[in-house]
Amino acid sequence: MSASPADPSAPDGGRVGAVIADDEPLLRAQLRARLARLWPELDVVHEMADGRDVEGVLRDHAPALFFLDIHMPGVNGLEAARAIGARAHVVFVTAYDEYAVQAFERGAVDYVLKPFDERRLAITVERLKERLGAKPPALDALVESLAARLAPHGPERLRWIKASVGSSVRLIPVEEVLFFQSDEKYTRVVTAQGESLIRKPIRELLEELDPAKFWQIHRATIVNVDHIASVRRGLKDQAEVSLRDHAETLVVSRAFTHLFKQM
Amino acid sequence: MRRVLAVTALGAAACLVVVRLFVNTYWDLLVSALCVGYTSMVLFTVAGNIRQRWMPREAMQVLAVVAGSLVGTVVAGFVKGRNLAQMFSERLAGVTITMGLGIGVGCVVVAAVLLREKHARDQARILKGEAERHQLEKSVLEARLALMQAQVEPHFLFNTLANVQHLVETDPPAASRVLESLIKYLRAALPQMRETATNLGRELDMARAFLEIHQVRMGTRLDFSIEVPEALRSRPFPPMMLISLVENAVKHGVDPCCDAGCIVIRAREAEGQLRVSVADTGEGIRPTNGGGVGLANIRERLKALYGSSARLVLEENAPRGVVASIEVPA
Repeated sequence: MSASPADPSAPDGGRVGAVIADDEPLLRAQLRARLARLWPELDVVHEMADGRDVEGVLRDHAPALFFLDIHMPGVNGLEAARAIGARAHVVFVTAYDEYAVQAFERGAVDYVLKPFDERRLAITVERLKERLGAKPPALDALVESLAARLAPHGPERLRWIKASVGSSVRLIPVEEVLFFQSDEKYTRVVTAQGESLIRKPIRELLEELDPAKFWQIHRATIVNVDHIASVRRGLKDQAEVSLRDHAETLVVSRAFTHLFKQM
Repeated sequence: MRRVLAVTALGAAACLVVVRLFVNTYWDLLVSALCVGYTSMVLFTVAGNIRQRWMPREAMQVLAVVAGSLVGTVVAGFVKGRNLAQMFSERLAGVTITMGLGIGVGCVVVAAVLLREKHARDQARILKGEAERHQLEKSVLEARLALMQAQVEPHFLFNTLANVQHLVETDPPAASRVLESLIKYLRAALPQMRETATNLGRELDMARAFLEIHQVRMGTRLDFSIEVPEALRSRPFPPMMLISLVENAVKHGVDPCCDAGCIVIRAREAEGQLRVSVADTGEGIRPTNGGGVGLANIRERLKALYGSSARLVLEENAPRGVVASIEVPA
């Protein structure tokens, strides 16, 4: 029987090739040492500090098995698993992730918790030996649900404003900004502590800011709703917004007064 | 609408009272009273809503009532089919009485309305003051709660223990050093163990322990130094803020970028302010990056503790990374 090296279901003379991916060198060494004791037929053919270059590793080492730390800088374990697909078996390694563990309990994939429990690791090894005979399962659904649990984020919003102050670049979290106001070529960024000028126009800011928190109230003004103290009816059909921690009042032009109706 | 009803009722009641004093019929009086009442009411409402600066609103409203009584009396005359000349000759007495009564009753009503408005305004002001006080109390409480909840991240703890587990077998002296750092860190980081009053020195020791642990874990990827004059170590400094900045520098700065990174903690005193900064040479902040919760927390607590005399500033580090600084009154 001739075994193709890329076919994990036909281990070469009983030897199994494995790759360990963890950003912490000591933890790679530890897993390697434990596995050597529990599973002498296992060869750790390669170690990775992140999930990059899965393709190259598959090509050069043709491992039957990956131990993937979920949290790694650069390309993490989930992204690596996605890249591996059904070309090798995967065991996830994690120090602590409530959600991840919940997802694993229902999934077809095994996981190992750090710090390692010798008996738990032995059980994993036994299970893996059985599974290696079969084709690696498709992980897509599990990986997607894990990714969703670990990084629950909505659309990307502008969180920081970079503004020059003297020779340095100040980073202002948008929550701190009271309002943005266009001032000819520039846009004023006003906070309770002071104000600075940026080049990004109101129109672009409006697209990038969270619309639930930042309202345009005038052609030239975007206000942070969290900092509004009160709104008063003004001349004609306009209104006037006063802010907490700031003396300046802002004009709400007629086109935007509907924002404050029935509040 | 409520005003129209009130004026109608008042007019009817006033007529019931004065009908005995006059020869006129009740209906005749009622017409006069309602004309005077409605006219005064309309002018009073208008006067209250006109935006003008040359007279107090109240004076304007009293004038409106006087004018309303005059005009109303004349209108009542027309309604009864008399002309102006008649009103101011043969019926002058009646007209004067109607006007006088209108002005008198009107002024009493105006006084009552103004008093009620003032009462409502005072009430609103009191409520607003209370709301502001509650808001302040709430933010102080929240800041305290956030401090209590600032906890050791399980991921950090278990990863560190996994390292210790391995070192115990391979390099026991190193294992013992990591454990020492971990104990130092936990002593400061666990809310139950935390002392309420702390100084910069203690916060720096905690940061050092934290960074030493990370150095074991990350190997050559992390380098750090602490450049703080000995004299500043005894200065009071709020707890758990420096460690938050250091955690951010590791987690969002050095860890995400794959080559080596360096973290430097500095402190100096200038113009009555103690400035403590954490600089990293890491990834830097992308405009859409999160991680603002810890920082918002520090800002809230600084505000609760020092008002406007303390601040947290974030700047770009050159050539890369972030400098986060906390300034408190020295």
